[in-house]
Amino acid sequence: MTTSADTHCPYCALQCAMTLKSPAALTPAVQPGSDPVPAPPAPNVPAAAVDAGGAAAAPVLEVSGRDFPTNRGGLCRKGWTSASLLSHPGRVTEPMLKGSDGVHRPVSWDEALKLITAAVKDTRARYGADAIGVFGGGGLTNEKAYQLGKFARLALGTSRIDYNGRFCMSSAAAAGMRAFGVDRGLPFPLEDLDGTSTILMLGSNVAETMPPFVQHLQGARDAGGLIVVDPRRSATAAFTSDGGGLHLQPLPGTDLTLLLGLSHVVIHEGLADTEFIQARTSGFEALARSVNAFWPERVQSLTGVPADLIRETARRLAHGATKGGSYILTGRGVEQHVDGTDTATAAINLSLLLGLPGSARSGYGTLTGQGNGQGGREHGQKADQLPGYRKITDPAARAHMAKVWGVPESLIPGPGLPAVQLLKSLGQPDGVRCLFVHASNIAVASPDANAVIDGLRSLDFLVVCDFFVSETAAEADLILPVLQWAEEEGTLTNLEGRVLRRRRALQPPAGARSELWIMARLAEALEAPSTYSEDPETVFEELRLASAGGLADYSGISYAMLDRGEAAYWPYPVGSSGTPRLFLDGFAHADGKAVMTPVAPRRRRTPAENPDPGAKTMTLITGRLLEHYQSGAQTRRVSELLASQPEAKMQIHPAAAASMGITDGSFVSVANERGEVVCRAELSTAIRPETVFLPFHFPELGSANRLTEAATDPISGMPEFKFNKVWVRVAANGPQHSVLQTSEAS
Amino acid sequence: MSEQIVIVGFGPVAARLIDELLPAVRSGLAHLTVIGEEPDAAYNRVLVADLGVGRTTASALALSDAAALIADGVDVRLGVRVRRVDRARQQVVLTDGTKPHYDRLVFATGSRPVIPNLTGLNPDPAHPVLPAGVTALRDLRDAEVLRQAVAGGKRVVVLGGGVLGLETALAAAEEGATVTVVHNGPHPLGRNIDRGGGAVLAAGMRNCGVRMAGNARSTGVEHNAPDGGFSALLLDDGSAIDGDLLVLSCGVRPRVELAEGCGLSTATGILVDHKLRAHHEPHIFAIGDCAEVRCPDPSCSDCRAARGPSGLVGPGWRQAEWLAEYLTLLAEGSVDGSSDSSPTGDSVDAAESLPELPMEKPGVVVLKARGMNMAVAGDNAAEPWDEEVLTAGAVNGRPRLQIAQWADPEHGRYVKMTTRGGVLEGLVAVGMPRTAAELVSLFERGDELPADRSLLLRLDGPDQLAAAGNSDPERTVCRCAGVTGTKIQDAVVDGCSTVAEVSGATRAGTGCGGCHSDIKDIIEKHFQAAAAA
Repeated sequence: MTTSADTHCPYCALQCAMTLKSPAALTPAVQPGSDPVPAPPAPNVPAAAVDAGGAAAAPVLEVSGRDFPTNRGGLCRKGWTSASLLSHPGRVTEPMLKGSDGVHRPVSWDEALKLITAAVKDTRARYGADAIGVFGGGGLTNEKAYQLGKFARLALGTSRIDYNGRFCMSSAAAAGMRAFGVDRGLPFPLEDLDGTSTILMLGSNVAETMPPFVQHLQGARDAGGLIVVDPRRSATAAFTSDGGGLHLQPLPGTDLTLLLGLSHVVIHEGLADTEFIQARTSGFEALARSVNAFWPERVQSLTGVPADLIRETARRLAHGATKGGSYILTGRGVEQHVDGTDTATAAINLSLLLGLPGSARSGYGTLTGQGNGQGGREHGQKADQLPGYRKITDPAARAHMAKVWGVPESLIPGPGLPAVQLLKSLGQPDGVRCLFVHASNIAVASPDANAVIDGLRSLDFLVVCDFFVSETAAEADLILPVLQWAEEEGTLTNLEGRVLRRRRALQPPAGARSELWIMARLAEALEAPSTYSEDPETVFEELRLASAGGLADYSGISYAMLDRGEAAYWPYPVGSSGTPRLFLDGFAHADGKAVMTPVAPRRRRTPAENPDPGAKTMTLITGRLLEHYQSGAQTRRVSELLASQPEAKMQIHPAAAASMGITDGSFVSVANERGEVVCRAELSTAIRPETVFLPFHFPELGSANRLTEAATDPISGMPEFKFNKVWVRVAANGPQHSVLQTSEAS
Repeated sequence: MSEQIVIVGFGPVAARLIDELLPAVRSGLAHLTVIGEEPDAAYNRVLVADLGVGRTTASALALSDAAALIADGVDVRLGVRVRRVDRARQQVVLTDGTKPHYDRLVFATGSRPVIPNLTGLNPDPAHPVLPAGVTALRDLRDAEVLRQAVAGGKRVVVLGGGVLGLETALAAAEEGATVTVVHNGPHPLGRNIDRGGGAVLAAGMRNCGVRMAGNARSTGVEHNAPDGGFSALLLDDGSAIDGDLLVLSCGVRPRVELAEGCGLSTATGILVDHKLRAHHEPHIFAIGDCAEVRCPDPSCSDCRAARGPSGLVGPGWRQAEWLAEYLTLLAEGSVDGSSDSSPTGDSVDAAESLPELPMEKPGVVVLKARGMNMAVAGDNAAEPWDEEVLTAGAVNGRPRLQIAQWADPEHGRYVKMTTRGGVLEGLVAVGMPRTAAELVSLFERGDELPADRSLLLRLDGPDQLAAAGNSDPERTVCRCAGVTGTKIQDAVVDGCSTVAEVSGATRAGTGCGGCHSDIKDIIEKHFQAAAAA
């Protein structure tokens, strides 16, 4: 019998709608597991065929695109091949304990939970509760993200919780909060872009990162108004050719200056929307003074973008604002910097000068990256936040949460440490000694990854929840097998702030457990205050109450409503019909006005001297490939994707390569004071001659984050991923590449 | 007690210094007095020409807000001049009779326009009173004079072929004025640009509707206008250039009288060392146009090669940022020092160990104009075949100069790259915006140029935009699903005749849909070939 489930893709924040079908011929495999499946079994749901010892079984589910306003039935290669991981032979299906010989061996859940309980109690007794850390992820469902924050603060009693969204959305979130009083990635439905004539995209390569998004750029391309800012001629930037628009190719690290130049032109050429500025913003005079020093020719000298292109871009945006609509969108390329918050602020300032936000056909937005990068940053996974996007330092917010949780307010810890600081504290005196990692592969995805791996190895106890032995899980004392997306129920919030249902299409392997179940059992063993459910809907009902009255208010949303197909954009207080478009009537500050904050480039730290006379100092930028997602822990295990992009390649301009004797496909060493990457070179005129590009999806000698610096933005805590100095030279020999962990191959 | 800092001058460089010192003022570490002789707080002088042709507004030029500074506790005195500086008492004597005390005094007095020695002009450099119809272009009042002439469609004569003169001329011409530029030498921008670039630049100016009067020596001005104002500029060959407004754009001269008056050493500007301190006077500093970095040490190699003040605002701003950090550290030191712990606080050491500001490279001049693009920098006079010049500096293993050049006067394009060891020492780029932007950025970073210099010329070519390799059948047609042309071709051969069928068979076109027209092309080509066969 055929079953099907309407759900969404497991990967990025576009959350493409898809249908999962189990082919009629497929019979559920017999599970060798021990415990019964904890969640109520769905009789018509087949189980994944997991063959622990042999080759990959055929996908147990058929994936097809489903019509939905965001993806309109389209999927990218990652989505199409996503089901192949359900039956992957490397799947972890039992808790695995690392022995003294360093080898992971199966243990029972009972034993695993006992070990964790003992480790937590021992750590708390010896070092205090803040010696326990929790590292979450933007891929967790709303229910898991919410309960993880609660579990950390009440059951573990620690303030030390943060998540990988700190590496992703924190700068744009901080800038949005500062300017608008609220942060929802896109404060409008994605379809609004379709009819617009002008879109300025800064530091976002959607053609590779979320391909079905590209449909929404077509209107602007047809109108010749797609303007892409990227140091590379990326696949997205290439859409601007043949009359599609403009490509601005600034030097890495100069986006902020470029934006100040655009604002300068808007003010000096009288293109600003003075009526809007007067009525709906504050801070204009100081902003105007601050951009005064950035006239186009000066900006040209600082950024490499010709003055006339700067003027043309400003005029085009202003023209669009009065006719057809203008949107400004930012991505990680401009946000993942030590001045990322200020850069996103500069983009918002530009949009406010033009009167874009709060209009029904223009706006500013940031493109959230991870699957639940939006919902994951709203409900208490962040070191400084409580559910509903509340500040943990706000007495009213604390009182509200204490009431919902039924605990005294004093039991809720204060603010913890943002991700980079949290990871720096691993194994340090007064730092974290026992760490829980969820939905995150920090050994590959964190800046200065070598230092992070050292930190992981210095812990007393490391628990990693994953369904594969990721590079982080390989370091764990205990690996807990958890569910994949097609095996669970829940909700996610996409890049538009729309809450979506994830539905189960398949029974999980017998030994795997939902993180909700794990938290509930541990809370029980730790005799934690308040309640912890293993049922997603019950947790969502609690999340509704917790978020009520907060900025991200979900209180009017229910599973039943989502199952009926209703579009639910937050804030969605009880009794309302949600908010597809924010700011139409006012911004979320007390006076209803948006705040313009003057920003300026800061001097950067002088990088270490290149000690290698044979190497050339160049600028490294990092980013994504279409075939891979995040650290690649999942996509490197999809044979079709791996075959297409099997290893890290350093993109370099042929002119730069020629001067260094680098040829296409030859091995290069890319190093700095933090580490070294050895990989093949890929020659391309799409990159600027002083810059090289590395994708960050690969481990070991291909791990770009061995080179990135753990310096952070003073406001958001975002690390510097996109502007690092490296020393590049020809490498004598390539690495013995093993893209997957050796532990798994054995 | 907080450190008393007095800044003389309130132009763009002073404004930056004030902004950078604000944290120290707010924390009570420093007390700041700013003295500006104009009635307005600092504004962006660089854009005065734009204001003069009505392209921007006076309010948009503001760099500082006096009221906001006063609210922050800064003592702002506008419309007041400094009569003299009393170094013995560490006092500044003002025209209003007050005498603020200073612990640290910063000269940011800037420069004033050079008034040429012409009959009919008052040449007193300290108090230039210009006759009606003649103006310099330095402050807001000057801009207003120009604005009225341009708005009235008058004839404007610009005297001087420097960058400010050219910018003014281009902007005024574009806004409807009739403009003539009168300059020395065969081409404009004579001090900055080589012969080839100058010629292409002059031609470009003419194309923009500006009359260029080169090789001209002016001798006097004629006042025959009905109001007794300017009517013509007289040249030494006996000819005259008629006009309604004469704009003097003959360069600037640092304002050093005050410094000279209190006995400080000056050359072109006020002489300061690498910490921007006046020679032998640790309490007094100078930054911006009025300062000349040349330390007292005669063996300092940096200073031997130094030129005078650049007249550009960028170096001044960098000096302001550096000096603010230094003064803040000094203030922290004096606060520490006044406590009983240690007479020399750590902050004094911190101040002295602050790395000195690196010497500025020769300035980059970028023409601010619409429709014309030009950037020049460094020494670019040498021509590709000047063997003597090219080898002159090549001693002690230092490589010789190399010149790469591209001249296309017909299309208004000219590029020269003067390199030593692959690194730019000078550049000229006219009519090639991308190339200019790249060269300037390479020049400022001191990075090596690609060995194939023509790469830099191609940046402005239309071929940069075209996609490459469209005809390769192994090319990926659908990026989203990773499907090559060959695979689609195979699907079509196997019977798919619509995009939807190809999508069903190969997944091509199932992501963003951007390749649908490419798929259609492959289908059509296949069936056309089949029909032909």
